[in-house]
Amino acid sequence: MAEDGGMKPKPADTDPLSDDIKPIKNATALVSSEAKRGKRADKPKKSHLLQWMEITVTEPEKKTIASMKMQDTFVVYLIETRVTDENMQGYGEGATSVWRRYTEFELLRNYLDVTFPSVIVPPLPEKKASYAWQNVSMDRFDPDFIERRRAGLEIFLLRCAAHPRLCQDKIFMGFLHQEQGWRDTVNATDFYSKAESRLKALNAQFRLKNHDRRFEELKNYCTELQSNIGNILKIRARLCDKLYGIHKVHGNYARVFNEWSAIEKDIAEHLQSASHYMDVYSATIDAELEEEEQYADQLKEYYAFGDSVRAVCRRYECAQYDLEKAEEGLVNKSCQREALKLAIAESPVSEENNGQGKGGFSLSGVKTKLFGGDTPEQREVRLKQLDEQIVQAEAELKNVQEESQEFIELALRDIDRFQRQKTKDLQEIFTNYAVMQIKQCKKGIAIWTSAKDCFSKM
Amino acid sequence: MAASEDTPAISAVGENSTTQIKCSPNEKIKFKDPLMTGLDKDSDDDGMESLDLEASNKSEEESVSRSSSLIANFRLDDDCDGETRDLFIVVDDPEKHTSTLEAYITFRVTTKTTRDEFEGSDFSVRRRYNDFLWIRHRLEEKYPTHLVPPLPEKHSLKRMDRFSTEFLKVRQTALQKFLTRVADHPVLSFDKCFQIFLTAKAWEFQAHKKQGSGFLTRVSESLNNMSASYMMKNRPPEFALMHDYITLLSDKLGVMDRIAQRVAKEQNDYMAELLEWGPCYTLWANAEDQLAGALLTMSKALDECVRTIKELIDATDNRFAQPIKEYLLYTECIKNVLRRRDAIQNEYDSVIEEIGRRKEEKETIKTSDQTYSIGAFLGKDPEDVKQQKHEKLEQQISDLIRQMEYFNDRTVVANADLKADMERWHKHKQRDLKEIFITLADMHIAYYEKNLAIWESTIRTIQNKDHIQLPSTASINENQDHGIV
Repeated sequence: MAEDGGMKPKPADTDPLSDDIKPIKNATALVSSEAKRGKRADKPKKSHLLQWMEITVTEPEKKTIASMKMQDTFVVYLIETRVTDENMQGYGEGATSVWRRYTEFELLRNYLDVTFPSVIVPPLPEKKASYAWQNVSMDRFDPDFIERRRAGLEIFLLRCAAHPRLCQDKIFMGFLHQEQGWRDTVNATDFYSKAESRLKALNAQFRLKNHDRRFEELKNYCTELQSNIGNILKIRARLCDKLYGIHKVHGNYARVFNEWSAIEKDIAEHLQSASHYMDVYSATIDAELEEEEQYADQLKEYYAFGDSVRAVCRRYECAQYDLEKAEEGLVNKSCQREALKLAIAESPVSEENNGQGKGGFSLSGVKTKLFGGDTPEQREVRLKQLDEQIVQAEAELKNVQEESQEFIELALRDIDRFQRQKTKDLQEIFTNYAVMQIKQCKKGIAIWTSAKDCFSKM
Repeated sequence: MAASEDTPAISAVGENSTTQIKCSPNEKIKFKDPLMTGLDKDSDDDGMESLDLEASNKSEEESVSRSSSLIANFRLDDDCDGETRDLFIVVDDPEKHTSTLEAYITFRVTTKTTRDEFEGSDFSVRRRYNDFLWIRHRLEEKYPTHLVPPLPEKHSLKRMDRFSTEFLKVRQTALQKFLTRVADHPVLSFDKCFQIFLTAKAWEFQAHKKQGSGFLTRVSESLNNMSASYMMKNRPPEFALMHDYITLLSDKLGVMDRIAQRVAKEQNDYMAELLEWGPCYTLWANAEDQLAGALLTMSKALDECVRTIKELIDATDNRFAQPIKEYLLYTECIKNVLRRRDAIQNEYDSVIEEIGRRKEEKETIKTSDQTYSIGAFLGKDPEDVKQQKHEKLEQQISDLIRQMEYFNDRTVVANADLKADMERWHKHKQRDLKEIFITLADMHIAYYEKNLAIWESTIRTIQNKDHIQLPSTASINENQDHGIV
């Protein structure tokens, strides 16, 4: 099975998306229908886009469009794709390229969110800078901010492409390839109408009778996850401020060493060299902290993932709500039918008594009040109606049950995938952080060793 | 070496120490639990509470062997040009004493010497900070033109709280440095009072202290000095240079001291944040399953980082900031000595001026008309008055000339003393400051190396956990059918 790296996580791979990849089965598997998905052929199957396509987001550029009275300035990013597998169509044709701006990414994500309710859709990099410390760029057009956003957008696309279901979507492919009119194509799908209303979701949350524990726990987990990550980000920002301060104050040593060297003779030159190193020490912190922003960005992505997961839970609640409503509907109809049957069996005179004797709601009782008494023929008609309705409701219920089952199954699978991915990613993220710290330490050692050298010569 | 008149060829007549006794237990007043006694505000050790409690429990025997081993471990940092030393001093063993009136700390001062004047080769006495102040003041009085090393400040603003053990350690080091520098001084080390300080037992020492001159001379001296500097016109160029250099150096040292304080503050703030950060990861780990291991590893690493930064902060204060402050004090001492030298020269210059004036007066008298002088008014013959005045002036002039010679000698001596001391000081300063800055660099290097180790170990731990993470690969197999990646 280990044709292209096999089942184990690649140890040396620092790409946070190096996932446990299944080898290829056949080249056309990617565009095959849902039905084919479960089929196992002799040749390994490619289950997601990244296995045969390379995607990059590069070259952010500022673009200005003048329209009417306003000038709109925004940044566009170049998205290139290239087929890397010789078996696949499009191999050797060179890269496709398309320019997209942030709002188009947002559109894509909204579409995917609505279209794949049981999928945890990857989040976009934040719209506005959060948890900022004093020197980090908050301005949308600052090159550092743009660069970090570019990296985030690339990760977003790669994660989507790595997802076995998302990557098959036509709109997604269109995003990558369709140069003109993609927006129109998306809007044409009218996906907005399928979105669950917030009100319904809120309703559902409080009215469920049977709440699958797993989703309940998952929601709580998301809240905790976001709280924990939030704390870490908050304190990290403060740490950055302090560390920045420490280095910059050391810069003052540079100045005083210089001034001191002016009143000395033999040690002047060494003091000046030492002064230079203090300046270096003071200056390195800027680049180091900028690099460390990466860590914050990676944590922020998982913070945002919490929202995506919670969205899936909400949809579960809506689905469950629908299911319960359907069940309830059926039960009601059945009760009605029973009541009516009973009413027909007995004499019309004792109808009211019987109706009331059944206790609770009795359709026949109300009907009698509203419409007066019923003739037996009318009752028969009604009975038949009810029977039909019940059959309908049963069919509906079966449908909803199946859908709900499928949703839950898919959702749980995706959640499991997410959890595994998350564990791997975060271990990687922490390792990267440690790597950055090591780099900083080595730099510090180098600078102070050079300074010590100068001092030794004094 | 500088010529000094009162180089004491000490014969230690009558005054004090006869036998060489080690620190006798009788000297100690009963040791009280430091946390229970309130300290007298006037004691020189305000705010000090916790102590190295081991100090009080040492037996007589132990203290003997300790003192000799201490001498053996004596670091020769003040070794001047490989001169052989014949006087070694160690300060250690702080102890708290409580009397009815106050509570204070004493240090053990141990001396080993081969000098004949000392009548013995080993001495051990206990002294308190005020005693050090006394000896320093005496030395300054007796050798106003020599550079007497500085003492650590009486009160340290920062350490009025619980850091007492540290404070004592720092003070102890500074006191030892003081005594060693005096011992290395070719003139000061032979001073009689200094010897008494090193050797006299408690009561004898107290008695001797009382004989010293008061503080009054100090006050008038300082006034004199201030006006002297104002009128300084004829400062010799080498001293002018010295003066400028010391002023500027003092300035730079002051700046460095302030920078060090600022850095320490930022580092403390940083450490405070780091202290809160570790627990965040631990808290997160509580909500996780597979990820808990990595999170706890991070938390542990951060806690260790707190330790390393704390070590850096403390070490930087003790071995960089304090020494810099001390050199700042030293430059203040030098400024004082320079002022005194100026004052001495000023006296000489004033006398010269005075002589000039009198001579001039003498000349004018010859041709003056004394008819309307006071003497004539009283009935004397104007010519006689003239004669008398003339004689008086001549007398005054010859008196002044004698005075001038005296002041001249004094000035020459002062200049020579100071020059020699400054040359020595410059050498030591060079060496000391170099040492201080090398230490600063070393401490930072050590800090980064420790952190490097922490993070390398963190990576190893996290990656190891990754390899034994079986559940994810197992569930891959069961998910094969569903096309899950």
